Amino acid sequence: MSGVSLKPRAPLEARVDLSGITPAVICPLTLRELEHLPVPHGGRSVPLAELFFIEGAPEGVLLIEIGDARLDGVGAGMSEGELIVDGRVGAWAGRGMAGGVLRIAGDAGDFLGAEMSGGRIELAGHAGARAGAAGSGSRRGLSGGVLKIGGTAGPRAAERQRGGLIVIAGDAGDGLATDMIAGTVSVGGAIGPLAGRGMKRGTILAQARPELPAGFVDTGVHELVALRLLARRVPELKDMLGGWTHARRIVGDTLMGGQGEVLMPG
Amino acid sequence: MIINGVEIRDNFAEAFPMVGTRLIVTADTPEWALTAGRTTTGFATSVIGCGCEAGIERMLAPEETPDGRPGVSLLIFAMDFGSLKKVVPLRLGQCVLTCPTTACYAGVEGGKRVPLAKTIRYFADGHQISKKIGDKRFWRLPVMEGEFVCDEDTGSVEGVGGGNFLILARSRAAALHAAEAAVAAMGKVEGVILPFPGGVVRSGSKVGSKYKGLFASTNDAYCPTLRGAVPSALPPEVASVLEIVIDGFSFEAVSEATKVGVAAVCAVGAEGGVVAVDAGNYGGNLGPFHFKLREIMKDSTGGEP
Repeated sequence: MSGVSLKPRAPLEARVDLSGITPAVICPLTLRELEHLPVPHGGRSVPLAELFFIEGAPEGVLLIEIGDARLDGVGAGMSEGELIVDGRVGAWAGRGMAGGVLRIAGDAGDFLGAEMSGGRIELAGHAGARAGAAGSGSRRGLSGGVLKIGGTAGPRAAERQRGGLIVIAGDAGDGLATDMIAGTVSVGGAIGPLAGRGMKRGTILAQARPELPAGFVDTGVHELVALRLLARRVPELKDMLGGWTHARRIVGDTLMGGQGEVLMPG
Repeated sequence: MIINGVEIRDNFAEAFPMVGTRLIVTADTPEWALTAGRTTTGFATSVIGCGCEAGIERMLAPEETPDGRPGVSLLIFAMDFGSLKKVVPLRLGQCVLTCPTTACYAGVEGGKRVPLAKTIRYFADGHQISKKIGDKRFWRLPVMEGEFVCDEDTGSVEGVGGGNFLILARSRAAALHAAEAAVAAMGKVEGVILPFPGGVVRSGSKVGSKYKGLFASTNDAYCPTLRGAVPSALPPEVASVLEIVIDGFSFEAVSEATKVGVAAVCAVGAEGGVVAVDAGNYGGNLGPFHFKLREIMKDSTGGEP
C-alpha cells in the first residue's frame, strides 16, 4: 500500500494513542496487517480497524479524516513522509518528531511538537499548553525543525526550547520560552506575562514589548543585519520581519546568567 | 590563425588543480563591500609567495545577496584543502571582520567545508550568538560598530589554477591597453578570477632559476630587453608583453574566460599595436589542464586558418 487513509467509524469513546502510527511505519503494511495493528484505546488495546475505516491514499501520505480531540500522539516519532489530519487532534501531536511533515487542519492539545528535533508541523488552529516544550521531567524542548501555529499557543510554549523555530501567528500564553536554551520563537500577537524567565540563550521575536521578568536588560535599539538575513533566508519569518532593519534588544535572563534576547521593532 | 591582424600562436596554457571557495561579502554600501573585497583579496596573487590566489569575481546587486545589501563575491584558491582551510579564516578575520558594516556568507553549497565563523566566532569572547534554522547555521558577533554576521562555513570546489595567455604588442602602451580590454571583458565570466594586480601580470615566470631555492624566475624568452641575449620567443617588432592569469572553478570557466579575453585583445587588433597572442606552458609537465589557444578561438568570428 502506498498511502493510508483513516476515517473514524464513530466518535471516539476513549482516548486513542496513535504514537508510532507514522507514514513510514504503516504505509508499507498490507491492508490486512493494518486492520490488525493494535492501538491503545482507553484502558485496552484494540485493532486499528475497530476504530477506523482504512483506505488508500497518495504515496507516502497518512491521512486522518475527521480529527478528534481524543486522538493523542498523532505523528509522534515521525521521521519521514506526510501526515495530514483533516480536523483537530489531542495531546502530544508530533512529539519527538525527527522529520517529515505533519499538517493539522484544526486545533491541537497540549505538548504539540514537544521535544521534536526535525521536520515540520503546520497547525492551522490553536495549540494547547507547552507547544514545542520539553515533556514532563525532560530537560530539552524542541531542538530542531519548524513548528508553525496558525492560531494562539497556550501557556509555556517553547519551554526549554534548545533549537529550531517556533512561529506563533496569534497570541502566546504565560511563561513563553521559560528556561529557553537556544532557538527562535516568533509571536505575531500578544505575549503573556513572565516570558523568557530563566532564558539562557535563544531569541524571542515580538511585535511589542512583553511583560518580562526582572532579569531582563534593555540594550537599546540597534540596526541588526541578522534581521535582514532571517527575513530572506527563513520563509516562515518573512512576514514577521519584512521591513525590520532596527530592533530593540532586551537581554536576559541575566539573573540566571542568561544571554537570551527579546527582539521587537525599534 | 589570425584574428583582426593578431596572430594566435599554436600554443597552449598549462594549468594545474587548485582547491577554491567563494565568499559573499556584503556591506551597507557597494564602496565598503568593494573595500572589504579588495582588502581580503590583497596580497593573494600567486600561491608561490602568498599561500593563496584570490580575487573579486564580481559585484553583487542587493537582490542577489543573502541580506539584501550590496556585495561582492570573492574566490580564493589554494594548492590543497589544508591550505585553504588555513588561509580563508585568516583573511576573513583580518579583512572582513574588521571592515565597517560587512557581513560574510557562504558562496558555495557543496564540497568539503571551509570554516568561516566556526573559528572567528571566538573573537566575540563568549558573546557570540548562534542561529541555526534548517541546515544552515550563522553567527552574530557583537563588534563596536554593531554586529558582524557570518555563516558558519562555506563549501569548496576542485578548481583550476594558472590558466593564462600572453599579449605580445608593439609598445608598452599597446600591451596595456589590450590587457585592460581583456580584463574588462573577462570580468563578466562567472566562476573565474584574475588574481594579479588589476588582473594583469608583467612578470610572467618560467619554472626554476639559476639561483638555488627559487621556484620561479623571469620568463626570459618573453623579455623584450633580452632578445638576442637568450633564446627568445618574440618577433622583432614586439616591445612589450603582458600576461593574464586565470583561476577558475572549472576547466570550462577558465576556457570561456580565455576565449573572451583573447577575443577582446583581438578586437584591439593589429591597428591597436597587438602583434600576437601566446600562452605560457612548461612542456606539459606542470599540470594536467591544457588550454589550446587555437582550439579555443576556432569558433570566434574573424578567425582565419
